[in-house]
Amino acid sequence: MTLPESPVGAQLRVTRVRLPAADALRLNEMGIRCGTVAHVTQHAAFGGRVIAVAGSRYALDAGTAGLIDIEPVNPLR
Amino acid sequence: MSCHGSDCAPAPGRGATTTMPATLRVLLVGGPNVGKSTLFNALTGARQHTTNAPGTTVELATGTWRTVGPGSHGSAEGPATERVIVDLPGSYSLLARSSDEQVTADAVRELALSCAGPAGQPGVVVVVLDATTLARSLYLLAQVAQTGVPLVVALTMLDLAESASDSPTAGMDPDTLATALSVSLGVPVVPVDARNRTHAGRRGLARAVDDVAVRPRRVTGVGVPTRSCWARTSAAVPDRAAGDLALEYAHAEILFAWVEQVVEEVTRRAPDPTVQDPATWQRPPHRRTFSDRIDTVLLNPWAGIPAFLAVVWLLFELTTRFAAPLQSFIGHLVNGPVAFAVTWLLGLVGLGDSWVQGLLVDGLLVGVGTVLTFLPVMAVMFAALGVLEDSGYLGRAAFVADRAMRSLGLDGRALLPLIVGFGCNLPALAATRTLPRARQRLLTGLLIPLTSCSARLTVYVLLAGAFFPHDAGTVIFMMYLVSVLLVLGGGLVLRRTAFRDVRSEPLILVLPPYQRPHLRTLAMSVRMRVGAFVIGAGKFIVGTMLVVWVLMALPVTGQHPVGHVPVADSLYGRAASGIAPVLAPAGFGNDHAAAALITGFVAKEVVVGSFAQSYAVAKPGDAALPGSLGEQLRASFDQSSGGHGGAAALAFMVFVLAYTPCVAALAEQRRLFGWRPTVSALGVQLAGAWLLAVMVFQVGSRL
Repeated sequence: MTLPESPVGAQLRVTRVRLPAADALRLNEMGIRCGTVAHVTQHAAFGGRVIAVAGSRYALDAGTAGLIDIEPVNPLR
Repeated sequence: MSCHGSDCAPAPGRGATTTMPATLRVLLVGGPNVGKSTLFNALTGARQHTTNAPGTTVELATGTWRTVGPGSHGSAEGPATERVIVDLPGSYSLLARSSDEQVTADAVRELALSCAGPAGQPGVVVVVLDATTLARSLYLLAQVAQTGVPLVVALTMLDLAESASDSPTAGMDPDTLATALSVSLGVPVVPVDARNRTHAGRRGLARAVDDVAVRPRRVTGVGVPTRSCWARTSAAVPDRAAGDLALEYAHAEILFAWVEQVVEEVTRRAPDPTVQDPATWQRPPHRRTFSDRIDTVLLNPWAGIPAFLAVVWLLFELTTRFAAPLQSFIGHLVNGPVAFAVTWLLGLVGLGDSWVQGLLVDGLLVGVGTVLTFLPVMAVMFAALGVLEDSGYLGRAAFVADRAMRSLGLDGRALLPLIVGFGCNLPALAATRTLPRARQRLLTGLLIPLTSCSARLTVYVLLAGAFFPHDAGTVIFMMYLVSVLLVLGGGLVLRRTAFRDVRSEPLILVLPPYQRPHLRTLAMSVRMRVGAFVIGAGKFIVGTMLVVWVLMALPVTGQHPVGHVPVADSLYGRAASGIAPVLAPAGFGNDHAAAALITGFVAKEVVVGSFAQSYAVAKPGDAALPGSLGEQLRASFDQSSGGHGGAAALAFMVFVLAYTPCVAALAEQRRLFGWRPTVSALGVQLAGAWLLAVMVFQVGSRL
C-alpha cells in the first residue's frame, strides 16, 4: 500500500521509501523514515499529500508520495 | 562510529582559556522556518548588511550583535560587547544538497577548523532549535556538534510548542524544556522569543555565547568526526559516489538513534502524562490543529489553486495599482520642486544654464529620482513577501504551484515572481529570494525579463493603435501570449543548456504552522532589504543615467555647447544612427526606432516619449489620428521596411518584449546574481530579441 492510497485522517506507518538514495536520505533527515508513524491530514491538488509526523506537517508531491510504502496503524494500539 | 576521532578537538589548553576574544564570530545555524532570521534581526537591529557568500549568489546577512553588560559597583551599564554574527542559509543537514546548504556546511566547517587551529579566529555556533519539531532540529544539531565547534542552543517557537497538541513536547513549559534539553545535551540551551520585545532571552543567549567562547562545551554522546569525514561532506549529496552515500546513510542512522534517545529523555520530564510514554510521542492521538483547518481550504484540490491565484493577483495589484500613485508622487517631487530648487541654487552661484546644471539636474537628479521612484514598489513587494513568509503561506504556495513549474525544474514558488513580473520586473526579481536554491533563483531571475511588464504595454498600445487600429486589442493580447511562450521556451532551453544541473526533485516541504506576522520584525526586514536595493542597485542606476546624459550632452556635429545639443547632433544620436543598419533586417532600421530602443534600455516607459521627441511632436492622445505620432511612425516604418510597416511594427514590439527590460532590472540582476550572469543575460537578450524580431518581420512581410 502506498501513501496516496491512504484516506485523510488515517494513521499509518512508513514501511519502505523507494526514492533514489540521495532523496531518500534527505527524507530521512527531515524526519520521515521506515517505522515513522504519521497521519494523513490533507489530500491536495494533483495528487499531493500532507502528512503529520510528531507535530510537523510535510507536503509531498504525488510522485514522491507514490514511492512511500505504508501500512495502516491502529491508533494507540 | 566511523567519524569519531579527535582531529577537530579543541587545542590543548583551550578549555582553560578565560579571556574573551576581541571580536567573537557567531554563526546562526538552523533549519528553514525555525525563526533564525527573526532572531538575527532581534539581535542586530539595524546593525546589519547583506552580501553574497564568496563565489556564490547565496545571500548572507552579517550584523553586529551588541550588548551592554551590567556595570561594576552597582552602576546600571557596564562595557559594551560586540560580536560579529552571520545568519547562514536555512539547512536541514550539513550533507548539502544545494549551494545554499553548502555555504552553511562550509561556514561551520571553516569555523571548526579555525577553532581547532592554534592561531585561529575564535567563534561560537548558535544552533536554533525549533521546539515544535525537536527531532528534525536535533539531527542538524548533532551534525554541527560533531564538527567540534563550541555551541549554544537557542530554543525558539516555544509558544507554538506549548500549545501544539501533537508535538512530543506538548504541554512542556519553555523553562522545563530548556532545562531538560540542556541536561541531555550538556551545552547551554536558552529559550528565546525573538518576536517579543523583552530582552530576557537575548541577554541569556549573549551570556551563554560569551561563556562558551571562553569555556567551550561539547554536546555529549555524538562524538567528533575525523578530517576524512570532512572531506566527504565537502561535496553536495547529489554528486556523491554511491559508496560515500552508503557511508553517510549509516552515519545518519547513528545520529537518528541519538536524536530519538535525546527526545525520549526530554519528553520523560514532561508534566503531561500523555507525552511521558516514549512510544506515545511517536503516535500521539491526532487532533486537527488550527493550521490543519486552514489547510483544508488553502490546500484543497478545488479551492487551493483559486486561493493561490487570488494571492498572486493581490501581489500584482499591490505592486502596480497601489504603488503607482506613490511612484508618481515621488517622480513629480524630484522632477518638480527638487529640480527647481537645485536649478535655483545653481543660478545663485553662477552655474545656471551651464553643463554643470545639466549634469546635476538632468543626469544625477534624474538617476536619483529613478531609484527613489522604485522605493515604494520594492518596499511593498518586500512587505508582502514578508507577510506571506511569516504567515506560513509561502510554503503552501510552493506546494500548490509545484505541478505548474515542475517542467522547468523550478520550485512552485517560482510561479509567484514570474507572475509579478507581468506587473513590474524589478519587484519580481526581488521576489526570487523566496526560492530556496541559488540555481533556481538564477534561472527564475533570467526568465523574469521575458515577462511583459506594464511599462512595455505603453509601447504596444502606441504601435498597435497606429498600425492595427481595428485589431489593437488582439495584437496586444498576442504580445502577452508571446511573453508566456518566451518564458516557457526560454526555461526549457536554459534547462537543457546552462542549467542542466537543475533537476526536478521530489517535493518534500515542511509546512510551518500559520502565524500572525510580527510587524516590528517585518518593518526591520523591509528597511534592510530596501536599503540593500538602494545601495546595491542604486549606484548602477545613477551611474547609467549619468552616462546617458553625457552621451546626449556631447555634440558630434554642429556648433553646440556641451549640454545644449539637439538629439540628432549628439553622441547619442550618432550611436542611434550607427545602430539603425543593424536593425534593418527586422524592418525598423531607422534612427527614430534605434534611438527609442536605446532610451528603452533605461526604462520602457520613456520609449513613447523618445518617439515623440525624435519626431518633434507631442505625445499622442490617439495614435490612429492623422498627423499624429502614429502617422509619423507609419511613414518611417513603411519606409524602413519597404512598405511592410505592420510587420516591422510587430517585430519592433517583439524586440521591446524580449530585450533588457530597464536599467533598474539590470542593476537588480547584478546585485542578486553578480556581473557575469547579468552581462551574459544581457547579450543573450539582445541577440534573442534581434533574432525574434528578424523572424517576425521576415515571415510577416511575406504573408
